[in-house]
Amino acid sequence: MAFSISNLLVTDDLTILLGLIAGTVFLLRTFYRPQPLVHPILLGRQSEVAKVRNPGESAVYRNYGTGLMNRFPLRPHKDVQVLSDLVRSELEAPRTLWNTKITNAALQDRVASFGTGLLRLANLQSQESNVLLLLNECIEFLIADLALSSHSIPSMTLATPNLLSPVLDTHPPSAIITHAEFLPTLLELIYDAGEEGRHHTIVVVGEPSSRVMASVASKVKVLLWTDVEREGVKVPKIMSPLPKPSDVFSVSFFADSDGHVQGTQITHTNLTAGVAAIHALFPVSALLSSLDTIVSTHALGSLYGRAVAYTAIFEGTSFATTESSKLFRADEGTVKQDVTDILSAQLHSIPSGTILFLKPAHLDSLVDAILREAKKSLVLNAFAWRHKITGISEGFVSKDTLWDRLVYDAARANIIGEGAGTVRTVIVGEGLLPANLLTPARVALSCPIINTLTHPAVVGPVFALHALDLQDFSTAEENSSKTFAPVGPPTVSIEVKLLGVDDSAVESGADPKGTLVVRGPPVTKLLSNEDVESASGYVNIRTGGSATSAGSDEEDSWTNLGYKMQVLTNGAFRVVQA
Amino acid sequence: MAFDIGTPVNTALLLFILYSVQKIVFPSTSLPKEIPHEFRNGYSWLPKSHQPTVLFKTYTPKTLAPFDGKDNGRILLAINGTVFDVTAGRNFYGPNGMYGNFAGRDASRGMAKQSFDIEMLTPIDQTLDKLEDLQPDEIDNMKGWVEHFSNKYIICGKLVENDAI
Repeated sequence: MAFSISNLLVTDDLTILLGLIAGTVFLLRTFYRPQPLVHPILLGRQSEVAKVRNPGESAVYRNYGTGLMNRFPLRPHKDVQVLSDLVRSELEAPRTLWNTKITNAALQDRVASFGTGLLRLANLQSQESNVLLLLNECIEFLIADLALSSHSIPSMTLATPNLLSPVLDTHPPSAIITHAEFLPTLLELIYDAGEEGRHHTIVVVGEPSSRVMASVASKVKVLLWTDVEREGVKVPKIMSPLPKPSDVFSVSFFADSDGHVQGTQITHTNLTAGVAAIHALFPVSALLSSLDTIVSTHALGSLYGRAVAYTAIFEGTSFATTESSKLFRADEGTVKQDVTDILSAQLHSIPSGTILFLKPAHLDSLVDAILREAKKSLVLNAFAWRHKITGISEGFVSKDTLWDRLVYDAARANIIGEGAGTVRTVIVGEGLLPANLLTPARVALSCPIINTLTHPAVVGPVFALHALDLQDFSTAEENSSKTFAPVGPPTVSIEVKLLGVDDSAVESGADPKGTLVVRGPPVTKLLSNEDVESASGYVNIRTGGSATSAGSDEEDSWTNLGYKMQVLTNGAFRVVQA
Repeated sequence: MAFDIGTPVNTALLLFILYSVQKIVFPSTSLPKEIPHEFRNGYSWLPKSHQPTVLFKTYTPKTLAPFDGKDNGRILLAINGTVFDVTAGRNFYGPNGMYGNFAGRDASRGMAKQSFDIEMLTPIDQTLDKLEDLQPDEIDNMKGWVEHFSNKYIICGKLVENDAI
């Protein structure tokens, strides 16, 4: 058959209709693509790299926002010099800390009364005594901490409860503050250690039973918290000279990866720099404000947990912690880190949480539960999952999409409860997140998930992903369940470098891999060997061992964190092996 | 032959619409085979290479001498034992530059005495210029130049005697 051109191009009304539909569909496909939350070109250069590197080491890396030439931010605001400045009296709105609704001014009053009462009743001397805080997460911890720091009395905290006996042996405190439930255990430890010859002063939060009070030895003085505070209210407040930011206000004891007891001294500057680092985690469009509520699963005895708590204080948010962060309990059981644990924070009278600071185990169980709940609506979930994943691979995630309304909001509400819609950011720390969990977490929670790297000797995070970074480097061939998710560039107040790097590999373009050492204001000073004696005798690894030019490292005091890391070409870091 | 929807044009348009709708309703979720190296090729991209960094090396006068820029290579010069990478200042320190004499050499005496003469340079096979006969103000001048170079160029090594390595 002979078709002429005009026969082929015959058009009729149907053509016009189809043409319009085709045009609309084309425009829809081209311009309705979701815009990435942050332009990918910005994610191509996340750290600022030094131009020169020493043999066997990598170059020095800093956050791109800080740059190589600038000084590190030491404090979240220029007026915050010491710990007590974090309680800003100009913020007048009350917020809820655990179960107490309190304004900043009232908090400062309580701090002053407790400090005065403690100085009088426990005979403590400014700068001479030290106090051991064996408190779980409660407002009394913060009150005690702030009170002691304002009178320049160092406090001591433990990261895990099994460090109690070594610490009592080597660093006997002038006073101990603990909970009523823990008092019997503590008394037992003191008697077992044969310490009852030494005077002990114990301040107890809560009401200990009369049986326990009867068992108190004569040399041990037990005071009730409420009595101490009341004593401080009656009398004029004792004013001590203001501490300097470089003064040590606390010593934290933790067990390192070999199980040895390590102690580290925290100065006011360390903590304010850590608070500044956490403050910088949030993008300018979504800063922390007093409308937020922070829920944390990190114990206050660890430096990271403390930095989170003080960030909450500084920003005026409400704050609560979960059941698993309680270190000191009368029973021996451990709390599983899962969804019920996260929900236990809501049992306090805080408004529903907006910012969650979780550990990887919590995130794992939460995401698992939400996705399983979502799978119950089979067909819709298949579509929703595809669309969400496509959005994330283009850099976009949001809670307001159609698929959230259809599938995920309901799933989240079933798992988290009424407060599911308020969660706006999740920050993962104190653990290593597997790479294949990151994208499902973003789908399930539909909010920015910031992966961080923390260490017991650093206040605040060491590395943190850009808040709006949704990149996922899994490829079709690689099995990403064995690798860890990237943790991003160093935070704004830290500089890092890697030691033990293979020079020839790096010169030919491979990713530098080595042991991590850090330096900066939030890095605390580890106590040296003579100060921390433990049964097995600990060797303090301060800098890059024997292979490299150890001389200059000693003077510049880099701290070895023990992680083995790899640098990606965009300046983000990834843990290779813990 | 009779097409169901009338004409080839209509068929083509219909096929295009079906294809696009399929792409919208069933977006592809396959992972890429390898990580893209351009941000245009994908959101989860990584640059091809790391930022260039220079390895800090120890040079002797003999190993430093080849770096005089004559074959379009790096240009290094040393002041007071510190080696600077002055490739960025090829106009000054390259073969045809005003201060080209200093390329690949120890320029300490020249910097101190503010002179670019050949006499300021010690031959490569002799020991390094100990700068003992310089006046204090000349030493200060040289230190000022070290400061200037540190800010402007990259410190990439140190200079030691020929037999020290």
